Order: sequence, then C-alpha cells, then structure tokens
Amino acid sequence: MSTSMSKSGSMRDRSIPRRPLLWLAAALLFTLPPMFGSLVRWVPYVFLLALAMKFWMEPRGYRLRFATLKLILAAMGLFAIFASYGSLKGVEPGISLLVVLVSLKVLEAHTAREFQVMVLMGWVLCLCGFFLSQDFVIALSLLTAFALLLVALIQFYRGSSPGAFWPPLGTTGKILVQAAPLVVLLFVLFPRINTGLRVDFRANRLANPGFSDRLSPGSIAALANSSEIAFRAEFPGSTVTPPGSLYWRGAVMWNCDGLEWRAPYVPVSISSRGQSSSNNTIRQRITLAPHGARWMFALDRPSEIPPGAILARGDYLWSIQTIRKARRYEVVSSLGPARKELTPGERREALELPPSISPAVRELAQSWTTQNSNPRAIVNSALQFFRTGFRYSLTPGEYRKNDLEQFLFHRRVGFCEHYAASFATLMRLAGVPARVVVGYLGGEYNDLGHFFLVRQADTHAWCEVWLPDSGWTRVDPTTAVAPGRASLDLHSFLERGIASGQMEARRSGFLTQLARSRLFTNARLALETLSYEWDTRVLAFDADVQEVLLDSMGLANRGTFVLIIEILIVAIALLVTYFGWMQLRTRSRADRVKTSYERFCRKAARLGARRDPWEGPSDFSRRAALLLPDQSERIRQISDIYIALRYAAEPASVAVALDGFAKEVRAFGRYR
Amino acid sequence: MKARKLPLIYPTAGFAGLLFVLGAMWYAASSQNNTAVYLLLFALTAVFLVSIPHTLINLAGVTVTLESAQPTFVGQEVSLPLEVMNDSRATRHGIEVALPGSDGEHPRIDYIPARKAARVTLRFPARQRGEHNVGTLCLTSAYPLGFIRFLKKFASSRTYIVYPKPEGDVRLPSSFMHRREGNPLTEPGEGDDFAGLREYVHGESQRHIDWRAVARGQPLMTKQFAAEAEGVLYFDFFALRLVEVEEKLSQLTLWIIEAERARRPYGLRLPGNEIPPAIGQPHFHECLRTLSLFQVETPHTDPILSSVRRA
Repeated sequence: MSTSMSKSGSMRDRSIPRRPLLWLAAALLFTLPPMFGSLVRWVPYVFLLALAMKFWMEPRGYRLRFATLKLILAAMGLFAIFASYGSLKGVEPGISLLVVLVSLKVLEAHTAREFQVMVLMGWVLCLCGFFLSQDFVIALSLLTAFALLLVALIQFYRGSSPGAFWPPLGTTGKILVQAAPLVVLLFVLFPRINTGLRVDFRANRLANPGFSDRLSPGSIAALANSSEIAFRAEFPGSTVTPPGSLYWRGAVMWNCDGLEWRAPYVPVSISSRGQSSSNNTIRQRITLAPHGARWMFALDRPSEIPPGAILARGDYLWSIQTIRKARRYEVVSSLGPARKELTPGERREALELPPSISPAVRELAQSWTTQNSNPRAIVNSALQFFRTGFRYSLTPGEYRKNDLEQFLFHRRVGFCEHYAASFATLMRLAGVPARVVVGYLGGEYNDLGHFFLVRQADTHAWCEVWLPDSGWTRVDPTTAVAPGRASLDLHSFLERGIASGQMEARRSGFLTQLARSRLFTNARLALETLSYEWDTRVLAFDADVQEVLLDSMGLANRGTFVLIIEILIVAIALLVTYFGWMQLRTRSRADRVKTSYERFCRKAARLGARRDPWEGPSDFSRRAALLLPDQSERIRQISDIYIALRYAAEPASVAVALDGFAKEVRAFGRYR
Repeated sequence: MKARKLPLIYPTAGFAGLLFVLGAMWYAASSQNNTAVYLLLFALTAVFLVSIPHTLINLAGVTVTLESAQPTFVGQEVSLPLEVMNDSRATRHGIEVALPGSDGEHPRIDYIPARKAARVTLRFPARQRGEHNVGTLCLTSAYPLGFIRFLKKFASSRTYIVYPKPEGDVRLPSSFMHRREGNPLTEPGEGDDFAGLREYVHGESQRHIDWRAVARGQPLMTKQFAAEAEGVLYFDFFALRLVEVEEKLSQLTLWIIEAERARRPYGLRLPGNEIPPAIGQPHFHECLRTLSLFQVETPHTDPILSSVRRA
C-alpha cells in the first residue's frame, strides 16, 4: 500500500513513471504504419526519433524546456512540411504537421498531468491514420494502438501498484469486452448525421492507383508491381467458379492513336436489352476499393446494371458518382456471345485511324487482307504474326505513341498494352472494326473466404473485333505471345516464368520460396479473408446501409433524437448491469455476516432482548439467553458463529458457515 | 465513518480533452462519411462509458477512519492520521483523500488489497487557534481512465485542536510577574551546566534538542541545564502590556513552552479562568488548550468547512 502525495489533487509534482511511458511508446509505434507510405518519408522518422530521444532524456531529467527552442523547432517542422508538399493545405500536410507537433509534445512533456494529454494525442493519431488508410492491416494496427493507449492510461493511474504487464492488460481487456456490446449498438444504430461539410481532399490521392481513361505504352506495366487491391468478387448462388479465364471488363477504348488508345471522357449510355439467353449468366457480388474515378467492373460482359451505374456504349459499367469509398454491388454478366448489330456510325468509329501510321505498318496489314479477306482469317494471320519473335516483358523499355513501327519490326518487346493497342490498330488498318478493352484478368481465389481477389497488378488490356457471324469477339493478342498468361493471375505467371528461366527474375530465390510455402500461403489467405470481411461488413456499413437497416427494423421514422435517447437508455441499463455485477462480485462477505447479525438483533429486540450499542456479542448472547430461555440454544449458536465469522482468521469454509449462519438467523424466533 | 450519500460525480480536467477528441472524431467521421473513424469514435465513447461503473465500484466498500490528531500550533501543520479501509473483495486503486476547504496535500493511495487498510496522513497548515471540527472527509477516485472522478463524503465528528502561535519574548518573566507594575524582571532561564536529558515538548524551541541522539535513532530529547529548575512562575493575562488579545495569547503560549522545557512549575490566569501552578504534560496541554479556546465558541467551525457541509 504505497502512498504518494500530490498537490491539491493535481499531479503536477510527479514526473511520468517509466512503466506507463513504455506502454505509451508501444502504442504510439502502432500508429506509425499508416504514416509510412502516405506521408513524406521524413515525418514518421522524426516521430520515431522523438520517441527514442524521450527514452534517452527521461531518466536523465532532460526535456525540451525553452519556449524559444520549441518555437524554433515547430517553425522548422512547418517549413520542412511546406517544402515537402509545396503547400500546407490538404490532409497529408495537415497530418504531417500534427505528427511533428506531437513529436515536440512528447519531448516536452514531463509532468504526470501531461501524460493524459499525450494519450489523447495518441487517439488523435489513430484518427489521422484512418484518414490515410482504412486497410484491414492498418486498421488492426491502429486499433491495437487504441487499446495500448488504454493500457498506458490504466497503468498510469495504477501508480505503484504491483504488476507491470498482466494486471493493466487484464483491466483493459475487461473494459474492452464490456464496451464491445456498446460499440456494436452505437455502430449499428447511432444515427450518422451528415454534417454536409464535405471536404474533397482525397481525390488526388486515390486517383493514382488503377488505370486511367488512356492506354499508353507502359501504363499497365507500371501497375504490374502494385499489390494494391482493386476489388473482390464473390459468386453468390454458385459454388463453382465460372469456367475459362476471368476477364473483368472495365472500359472500352475507341479512339486510336497508334500505340495509344483512349476511352471517351463521358461515355454514352445505352439500355441493357435482354441480349443473351438467361441460362448462361453469372451473378457476381463485387466489393470495389475506392479509386477516385468512375470505373466499375464486371465479368465480360455485364448485362444487368447495378443501381447507381449506367451501361456505357461498349458494354461496360460506369458509375454515376465518383467512387470515393468502398462500394459493393451485384451485377449479372452474360458469358455467351453478344448478338448485336453494328450501326454504321459505330462501324465508322471502329475503323477510324490516326494519320500518322507509317507505310511499313500499312503494308503489313495490307498483306493480310490480300492473303484472305475473311475477317477471321485476318485475325488469325495477325495472331500468327505476333507468335513469332515477340517477347512479353514487364520492362519493355520506353515507347512513344508513334513508335508502332519500332515495336512491330525492331524491338518486339512489350507488355499487354503494347500488344492490345498494336493489334487493334492493325485490325483497323486491315478493315476489321476493332476496339481495345481495359480491365483485369484473373485474380487470386481465396479458399477460406470463397472469393476472388483482384489486384492492380492484374490489370490487363485486350481487343475486341467485329466479326459478322459472332458480333464483337474477344481476341487477346497477349496469349499469342505468352500463352498461359490468361489462365493465371500475373503473379503466378511471373513465378512460373522465373522457374523456367524465361522471365526476368524479379525476386530473390528465398522470397520466392517463402511466398510459395504452405504456411505462408494459408496465413495470407486467412488475412485476405479477414480483410475482406472488414471491408464488406465493417467499412461498407455507411450511412446509406444503416438507413436501409433501420428501415427494415422499423426504426427509420423514429426521428434522430428519439433514437439517440433510446440508445442512451439501453447504454445506461447496460452500465447499471455491469455495476451491479461488479458490486455482487466484490462485495465483502463481512457485510453479509453483519446484515444477518443485525437482523438477529432486530428480531431479538422484538422478542424483548434489546442489544445495547456498547454490548459485545458474547455479553449480549449471555443476557439474551437469560431473557429468552426457550431460544437460548439458538442464540448461543448464532453468537458463536457470528464471532467465528467476524473475528477469527479466515475459517476453512466461510461460505458453508455463512449459509448456516443465515439459516440460523432465519429460523430464530420462529417457534415460540 | 459512514458515507453520507451516493458518491458524487464530477469531470476532471482530462474530460475536456476527451470531449475535444471525441468531437474531432465525430466531425471527421461525419464530414468524410468515414466508417473506420466512426468505429474509433464509438469505441472511445463506449470505453469511456464503461469506465464510469469501474470508477464507481473502485470506491465501493472503501471507508475512512480518523484517528486522534496531535495538537498543533498555528503556523505549523495539522496532521490528521487516518486509515482507509478496503472492506471489499477486490483491490482498490488510486484513492485520494481530501479535506474540502483545506489547501494541503491530497494523499494518494496507489492501491489497497482486498480487506486491508492503508494509513495515510492528511497534512494542511493550521491557520487559526481553537478546536476545529474535521467535518467532512472526502475519498475520491478517478481510476481507471481518469476522465471522471467520483467523490464519497464521510461525515466525522472528530475534532483537532490548534494552539496559539508561540511568539513574543523568549525570556521567562520573574516569579513576581503577577505584580502589575514594573518591567518584567527576567532571569537567564538557562544555565550553563548540563543537567541531563528529558523528552522534547511539542512546540518548544529546537535549539536544545540533542541532535546527536536523534542521529543515533533515539527519540527527540532536549538538553536540560542546571539553572532551569528553580522558582514558580505565574503567567497572568492581565499583567501583559500588549494590546492585541492574540498577541497576549501567543506570548503566554511561548512562556508555557519555555517553562515546561525548563521544568519550572507554572500557573496561568486568564479572564474568568485560573489554572494553579503545576508541571508536566497534562498540565502543559491543559494550559495550551485553555489558551486556544479563549474567547471562541467551541467547537470552532471553519466557515469554509461549514459551507461545504451545507452543499
């Protein structure tokens, strides 16, 4: 029972003890992951440095004391942030500034009262982290930080109580478990009032991953190393995965400029007619990661449109609003060929060519037409052309949009976008209507969660040509160059390439081994499943989903205020329950003994033996036994047990004795 | 002592910070429609709410008992020894003891195991002579999160006594002092011959404490000198040529301490009260007590304390 003095209730005199400080540092470390990769590199390092310095300074009694020094450091931080970002507006500079200020505060804080401030700042850093990323792993790390901050605070208020590790963790665990129902209640039911103060500062950050409306040489190869998730797809209602390769249609590009293709800025909406027989359709549930554009994906080719989207000319989905947060939708695709007429306008557009095509390329296309004017034969000769002498590579070197000749006749190294663009251009030269489709190919199947995970690295481009007998038909020239690419996701394909020595080795052998080991694969799949659940069940639960849920529960027309009051009542009831439970668990047994004995005294007083306040229990029992001779045996027994329970050292079976005592007291005075 | 009512709840300084953070989270979540931030907001809110019963339970079964306080002099510190008892079956953490209205230190007890007691001393400066009611004692706790504090009041009927401040002329008056006229004929009061040690009298000058004995771990002893033990002294309130009543009381207090230290019998005469000459601790304390209660209604109640009790 150690005690300490504090001045007037505050804790100004005490410096921060070491144990809570360690917990705090651990918690703050967990707020770092979102900073790496989204803030300027030096900011998280400054934060780390400040934490390390704190541990060096604290035992020596050093701290940041002088106001001028603090101001100078803060100004330096401000200047460095301005220099790194070029502006102080926006979310990243703001968070960077906050991190720098927290670092300074950590260096400055010395007294115990400031500890609470630091913990609160830690929670603000968690908030900032969620602004930067809501990824599952990041969220896990931030929620760990949240809990560790709690541990630090509890350890701090425990003072010198014994136990540095488990007791504060246990208390934290207890509080978190008790808080869990409340969190669920608030999360599901608490009205998400939209303040309408929306600040659009995330567009510039989210637009970079994923493809754009322009397919230029190297634009997809640049994504090949990105493991960022594009979307996840489930196939509800069917246990088997769809046959064949999974071509996820994203956008259709009509405008040809040699090696560069472009999609219309604003696509023209078409109605979805019942284009195909209903027996060859597949329903998908897609959870799209926010990308700041309007692309939506579906298996080639979507026939039923999800709400909030249109079907654009070229049979691809186009969101009505920019996708800034994770979005989940269901879409039906028909796998069969589309029987559709080609309007003269479309035909003209699908044959349009840029003027800057070199004569050699024109000659190549002409040679196929003169051989056989059947479009199907032209397609085959073109594929035959690509099959010989071309190499599929992630690093094909730089091409400009007019380098078609360079690519076709000299360097002959390219990634999918080079093949798709050049193939479609050649088709148009040969008089076959052609267009380029951009989307994703493949994806990784997750056995645990039964879904496909499609990453940015799976971005792919292929062609569609108009054949009179089958309409728009998919032709993937990449398969001619690198057979097998279509049946695998890119990573597996590249791994296989490493094994056969055909592709450039991009990873070290050890990492490849590790990536292929069973344990690692299982862990990765489990993590992806959890991540999927986090995205679909937690993150997707936004104001709109909540409204639907409240509606289905019949709570929607209650009014926000009434709902809040009701939640409050439930919360208070829960808290009272917790309190009662804790009270019951920790209430002293001595109390029960005392209550029972007081009851006995009251009964005895009714019978005529009143106990004087100064009278000891044994004295009273002697006197009461004389006053009430017919109860004397019981009185003596009650007094003996009472004395034993009250004054003797812990008897062996307190509970039994206590129950017996209560029984005796109940029975007392009954027979008279 | 019996707790007065249900514990009172009030926010701490940290609560404002928490509200600010929660507000920031709410603003961020609602303006961005950021579900993860909503989750964080609700988690922090729920954790705070759940901590309320934890704080409340932390005071359940905890009682405080005052032990008798040593008399003290104005200008010194009152120390109230008290025992904080934990009657529950769980360890209690971070309990502070406070006496409303006194601006002393608040002893903090980091932990009390189940069914154990902790001893602490409440110290605060003694400002006014007289007998004071302790009045209401408060046990407060902000454990585990420190955003709110619960306060349990305990009424106490125990009193503590504050003697007047010893001040004035150190030299003892002559035994003829009770004559009304003439300068107080003084005698040295201290001789040069060391005559032995006796126990230190609370409040007397520390000049003659045998510090070497203290260093050896022995109790406080005062060196006595031969010239001290002679003559009977009579301290007369009316004989003092001072104006203020408090000044007179201070002078008398000082003389009583000096006389007791010198082991010379002394008597005290106050308006309407006379104590015959004697010597020894009971007499010493009786005299000082009479002085401290002089012309004050007993027991004296601090205006601040009574206002707290009314509240």
